[in-house]
Amino acid sequence: MSEQNNPYGAPTTGHLWDDNLAELTNQPPKWWMIGLHASWILVLLYGIVYPMWPWFGGATQGLMGWTQIGEYKQDMAAIQSVRAQYEDKLPGMSASAILADSELSEYVVRSAKVLFGDNCAACHGGGGQGNPGYPNLVDDDWLYGGDIDAIVATVTNGRMGMMPAKAGVAMTEAEIDQLAAAVAKGEPTSSPLFMEKACFACHGMDGKGMHALGAPNLTDAIWRFGDGSVESVKYTITHGVNDPADPQTRNAVMPKFGDRLNETDIKKLAVYVSKLGAN
Amino acid sequence: MEATQAEQKYNFEVVRWFSIMAVVYLVVGTLVGVLVASQLAWPVLNFDMAELSFGRLRPLHTNAVIFAFGGCVLMATAFYSVQRTCGVRLWSDKMAWFTFWGWNVIIVLAVITLPLGLTQGKEYAELEWPIDLLIAVVWLSYSFNFAMTIAKRKTSHIYVSNWFFLGMMVMITYLHVVNSLAIPVELFKSYSVFSGVQDAMIQWWWGHNAVGFYLTAGFLGIMYYFVPKQAGRPVFSYRLSVIHFWALMFGYVWLGAHHLQYTALPDWTGSLGAAVSLAMIIPSWGGAINGMMTLSGAWDKLRTDYILRFLIMSLAFYAMSTFEGPVMSAKTVNALSHYTDWTVGHVHSGALGWVAMVGAGALYHMVEKLWNTRMYSAALVNLHFWMATIGTVIYITAMWVSGIMQGLMWRDYDEFGTLTYTFAESVAAMHPYYAMRAIGGLIFWAGGVVMLYNVVMTVRQAVGQRSSSAAAATA
Repeated sequence: MSEQNNPYGAPTTGHLWDDNLAELTNQPPKWWMIGLHASWILVLLYGIVYPMWPWFGGATQGLMGWTQIGEYKQDMAAIQSVRAQYEDKLPGMSASAILADSELSEYVVRSAKVLFGDNCAACHGGGGQGNPGYPNLVDDDWLYGGDIDAIVATVTNGRMGMMPAKAGVAMTEAEIDQLAAAVAKGEPTSSPLFMEKACFACHGMDGKGMHALGAPNLTDAIWRFGDGSVESVKYTITHGVNDPADPQTRNAVMPKFGDRLNETDIKKLAVYVSKLGAN
Repeated sequence: MEATQAEQKYNFEVVRWFSIMAVVYLVVGTLVGVLVASQLAWPVLNFDMAELSFGRLRPLHTNAVIFAFGGCVLMATAFYSVQRTCGVRLWSDKMAWFTFWGWNVIIVLAVITLPLGLTQGKEYAELEWPIDLLIAVVWLSYSFNFAMTIAKRKTSHIYVSNWFFLGMMVMITYLHVVNSLAIPVELFKSYSVFSGVQDAMIQWWWGHNAVGFYLTAGFLGIMYYFVPKQAGRPVFSYRLSVIHFWALMFGYVWLGAHHLQYTALPDWTGSLGAAVSLAMIIPSWGGAINGMMTLSGAWDKLRTDYILRFLIMSLAFYAMSTFEGPVMSAKTVNALSHYTDWTVGHVHSGALGWVAMVGAGALYHMVEKLWNTRMYSAALVNLHFWMATIGTVIYITAMWVSGIMQGLMWRDYDEFGTLTYTFAESVAAMHPYYAMRAIGGLIFWAGGVVMLYNVVMTVRQAVGQRSSSAAAATA
C-alpha cells in the first residue's frame, strides 16, 4: 500500500500480505482504551454489588443482598397488598353475593378479564361474542340458564349436550326437509313431526327449549350451530349433536374447569360472564 | 496474466463453488424466513400441514441462514483469504472438496429431517446426532485444512483475518461437541447427556457463542481481509486488532448465562453473564472502529464503490447490535425484553445488518476476483444494497416496537393490582408489526434475488468471454 494511501502518516508494521495488505502502527483511540479499562473495572464492581463469584458452598452474595427470587417476591407482595382488600373477602362469599356487591364485582370483572382471556376466549372469543360452533355469551340467551349459580356449575363441571341423529328414530329425507323448513322459520311446532318425532321432549312443547337439558330455544333467531339456514338445520337433524353413533355429528363440549381453576377464580369468571350477558 | 498465475497457484475452484452456494442459500434461507414471518401474521399460511407449520420451518430457516448461507460464506472467504494472505495453495485440495460436499450433504439432511420434526429441541443445534457427528467431521476437515495452510505459509507473520478464523474454528469445535453430547436411542432420536438447568446453561453457552464465534469472530475475519482490500487502505491499527481480538476471545464465552436471567439458573451465573456482556461493548466496537477508520481518507469511495458500501454499512449495524445486546442482557432491561420480539429484532439487526451485509460485500469482491471480471451490473449491486438496508431497517424497527409493546403489555397492572391485558390482546396488538416485519423480510429477500441474478449473469459473461478469447487465441 503506497504512502499516499495512508492518511494517518503512521508507519506500517513492516509486514505485507497478498501484494498490498498492511497494518499501521497507530495506537487505539484513547477513548477506546479508557473504555476497555472501564469495562473490566465494571465487571469487578458489578461482582461486588451483585452475587457473582462462585466459591465453595455457594457464591458471593453481593453488597445489596439482591436475589432474583427476592425481587420477584417483593414485586408480588406489592401487587398482593393492593389486591388483598378485595381478594380476602372472596373465599367466604358466594358468586351471587359478589355479583350483588358493586365494589367487589367491579374488582372481580377487572381481575377476571385475564382469566377469561387465558381460559375462555379461545372458544368464546375475546369479548365473549362467540365463534362459529361456540356459543355467544354476550346475549341473554342461555342454553343452561343464565343465573349465576348455573354459570358456576357450567364452568366447574363443563357441559356436553346431546341430540340424537335423526331424532334417534328413522327419518326419511322428506321428513328431514319438512322439519328443517319449519325449524329454520322459527316455527318448529308448525310441523307435525315436532310432536311425532318427540322433539318436544327436550325442546319443550312450545319449542322454546329447556335449560335443564341444555336444549336451545328454536323459536328465536339465535342459532347454536350454523347460520339458521335450512341446510345447516338439516345437518343438525341428520347427524345430531355429540351422538357417538354418528361420526359426522356436531361437536359441542364445554370442558370442565373445576380441576384447572380454584373456586375463587371460577366465581370470578361466573361474575364476569354474568355481567357480559344482559343479566 | 496475474489472474492466470493466481489461478494456477491457488485453489479457486472450491472457493467459487462455496461462493455460488452461499448466494443460493441466501435466497433460499431468507425465503423460508419470509414464509415463517408471514405465518405469524397470517396463520392460514401454515396450510394445516405439520411439515409446513411454523414450528418445523422456523428451525429450517435458522439452520439455512446460519449454517447453509453463513457456513458457505465462512468457508469461501476463509479458503480464499488464507491462500492469498499465506501466499500458498490450500494444504489439501481433496480435503477442501470433502468439506464442500460434506457441508452440502449436511444441509440436504437438515432440509429433510427438520420438516419431518426430527429434532434435538436445542435452539441452533436442532439436528439429530448422526448429523451432529457429520458436522463435527466436516468442520474439523475445514479447520485442519485451514490451519495446515497457515503452517506452510510463505509469509513471516499470520495476517489478522486468520487469527479470527482460527479462533472461531477452535471454539466452535469445542462448543458443538460439548453441546451435542447425547445418548442415542434410535437413528434419529437422542437425549442430551445434560438435564435441567445444566442443560439450559450448556445450550445457551453454545447458543450465544454460535453468535459470538461463528457469526462474529468468523465474520470479523472476513471484515479484516475484505475491508482493507476493497478500500485499498492499510488496517488502521495493528495494536487495536490484537487487543480487541483477545478481549473478544476471553470475554465471549461467559455471555451465555444472560439468556437465562430470572430462571432456575443461580443468581451468580446470571450476574456474571450480564457483567461480562456489558464489558463486551468496547471490545466489539474495537473491530467496528478498526474497520471504519481503515476507510479514513477514502470515504469518497463510498459514492462509487457499492461493494464497499455493503462492508461499511455492515460495520455500522455491527456496532449498533453489539451495543444493543449487552444492554438487553442487563437484568432490568432483560426483565422487559426477554421472550419478546425485541430479541428477534436484535438477532436480525446482527444477522441481516451485519452477517448478511458483510457476507454479501465479501462475495461480490470475490466474484470479481475469482472470475477476473467486473460485476455484470454495478447498478444492481447498488439496488441490492438499498433493498438490504431498507429491508433490515423495516424489520428491526417493527420488532423493536412490537417487542417493547409486548413487554409493557404483559407487565401492566391497573389500579386494582390486576393485569390490564390478556395474552391474546398482546397477540392481536402485534399483528400490524408482524405484517410489517414480513414486508421488511420480503424486501431483504428480493435483494438477495437481485444478487443471485447479478452473480449468475456475471459468471456467464466471464465464462463466455474466456471461451471466446480462448477461441480467438487458437484461431
